[in-house]
Amino acid sequence: MQHLSEQSSVVKYKMVLIFLLGILVLIASFIASLSIGAYAISFADVLKLLFSPDEGKAASIIHTIRLPRALVGIIVGACLAIAGGIMQAITNNPLASPQVFGVNAGASLMVVAGVVLFPGLGSSTLVYFAFLGAAVGGAIVYSLSSTGGGMTPVKLALAGITVHLFLSSLIEGIVLFHETSTEDVLFWLAGGIDGRNWADVRLMIPWSLTGLIGALFLGKGLTILGLGDDVARGLGQKIGWIRASSAILVILLAGISVAVAGPIGFIGLIIPNIVRKLMGSDYRLVLPLSAVFGAALLTISDVLSRFISFPAESPVGIVTALLGAPFFLYLASKGGRAA
Amino acid sequence: MSLKKMHPMTIIISLTLLVLLGAFLSIGVGAVWIPPGSIFNYFVGVDAGGSGYIIENFRLPRIIMSLLVGAGLGISGAVLQGIIRNPLASPDVIGITKGAGFAAVAVIILFPSLPVIGLPIAAFIGAGLVTIGLYIFAFKRGVQPATLALVGIALGAICQAGIQFLTVKFPLETNAALVWLTGSLWGKDWTDVWMLLPWIVIVVPITFFLAPKLDVLSLGDDVAEGLGEPVRKARLLLLIIAVILAGASVAVVGTLGFVGLIAPHIARQLVGNKHIYLLPVSALTGTLLLMVADNLGRGLFPPTEVPAGIFTAVIGAPYFLFLLRKMQKS
Repeated sequence: MQHLSEQSSVVKYKMVLIFLLGILVLIASFIASLSIGAYAISFADVLKLLFSPDEGKAASIIHTIRLPRALVGIIVGACLAIAGGIMQAITNNPLASPQVFGVNAGASLMVVAGVVLFPGLGSSTLVYFAFLGAAVGGAIVYSLSSTGGGMTPVKLALAGITVHLFLSSLIEGIVLFHETSTEDVLFWLAGGIDGRNWADVRLMIPWSLTGLIGALFLGKGLTILGLGDDVARGLGQKIGWIRASSAILVILLAGISVAVAGPIGFIGLIIPNIVRKLMGSDYRLVLPLSAVFGAALLTISDVLSRFISFPAESPVGIVTALLGAPFFLYLASKGGRAA
Repeated sequence: MSLKKMHPMTIIISLTLLVLLGAFLSIGVGAVWIPPGSIFNYFVGVDAGGSGYIIENFRLPRIIMSLLVGAGLGISGAVLQGIIRNPLASPDVIGITKGAGFAAVAVIILFPSLPVIGLPIAAFIGAGLVTIGLYIFAFKRGVQPATLALVGIALGAICQAGIQFLTVKFPLETNAALVWLTGSLWGKDWTDVWMLLPWIVIVVPITFFLAPKLDVLSLGDDVAEGLGEPVRKARLLLLIIAVILAGASVAVVGTLGFVGLIAPHIARQLVGNKHIYLLPVSALTGTLLLMVADNLGRGLFPPTEVPAGIFTAVIGAPYFLFLLRKMQKS
């Protein structure tokens, strides 16, 4: 316990610096996200219109289209990064993330099933489908990869990829039998935040705030858990309670993200690994920093995604995959040991 | 258990008969049901009318394709599991299939005017590039099963990202690519058969010839080298063979998952680990698996066709997970 509170001033200084850097990058990418698009708006105009909107076209584009989209991006990025951080902490496994764990695929399957079987369901109801799917997908992978001899990165990855392939073929089957909206579903399955509006922002806020605050409270427990179950128990931590609340938080955070933005991959994998490399394994710091960097990465990816087939929109999940897959390769070539 | 007491040759012969019978009956399954009598008539040369036309132009090439592809994927999986010494290896899991898929989608979308023969060649190249990646990132570090599986999954993820990029960047050309990606025997004709046949006919006997090498390799690098086997050379040769078989199969029918993973396992339950028996039996079980999947896809909801790839996944994935559990317990 003591080493947690006795941080040297150098570490604190470094932490503040990194945190500020993250915030700066986030703000810069946020402004870029409001400025860049099929209808270009200069940075100066963005800043002016953001705080004092006029009746013009630019102001209306910013406030009805780009602002909610950018906010959804920030929330989703933060949620996914925190979810990944929590998973990596409780499994002590650098490859753990909503995507590798089947959580994204499970949530996607349920959302697609909900959309197809009960057309006309509002997105506020689909959220619960996503939660259920996230829970089931994660539970299958967890139980498969943790029995007998503990969870190794390989077991997790193999169980995860197989469950992922399996759930994907079920989704494929559903899409196939309801050919009506194949293209839309495919677009959604790549993971995107294009066209998200204020209703989506409002839908996300209560769930993501719950997850975020929960994660802040959980940080200490997760850090101590990293010392090993026995030590943690000796230090008076209720391990079962920590694991259970972690699971619930992951389901909330990943579920709400998938419900609104589709299965955006790799944010939850990359960000916590980078943040841990910078900050060490104190999850009281890792989780909030992951939130900031996750939000920044998703916002930057969203800006980049607009150039793929400009002026048409492309799913942001493609950019995160193009960035994240090589990173996964880097982790993999080290045998999945901690970065 | 009683199966294991049977002589492997008995099992091979009975499986072959089962495959032939299955193939014969499969000819009848589809949007138009053809009774066995008419099929028999067709084969003995009696005029079968309209059924004869359907058999000759649609059903027969398709059934032959399922035989070739099932055998190719089954053997490829068995060879990979042998050289990597990891029963979880398969063309899908270690990224070979995805590499072929990425290359094929790139060709379909970027060079739509390329002749049909260009597609399998491109898919080959894609599978080959992934293999080179595996070699660079995993083999050079001593082919630890863990590293190899993880690197393969990662390379697969990179290819998947590429596929997604292309399909979204060029939405108009996507449909052709999607049909290919699902993995289906739908619409396969004699051209496809002739395209795949030489690869299978030439390469499969080579694998039988190399079966003793696989047995030696499975003893571990040290023992194999002690027995005078040039380990690295043998491993590379076998890897290339596995890639050719999987690449050729996938190139023609698309990314059919799980056959290469499951077939060798069923085979191992039947005849054990000796590769001279394991390889042919993997080919037969792969063929049976694909035939069942394709028949389900064709016959379950006629006239709608469900791609065989979906059924191989639905059959294969739960079995694979069961396997994973079993391995963890032992």
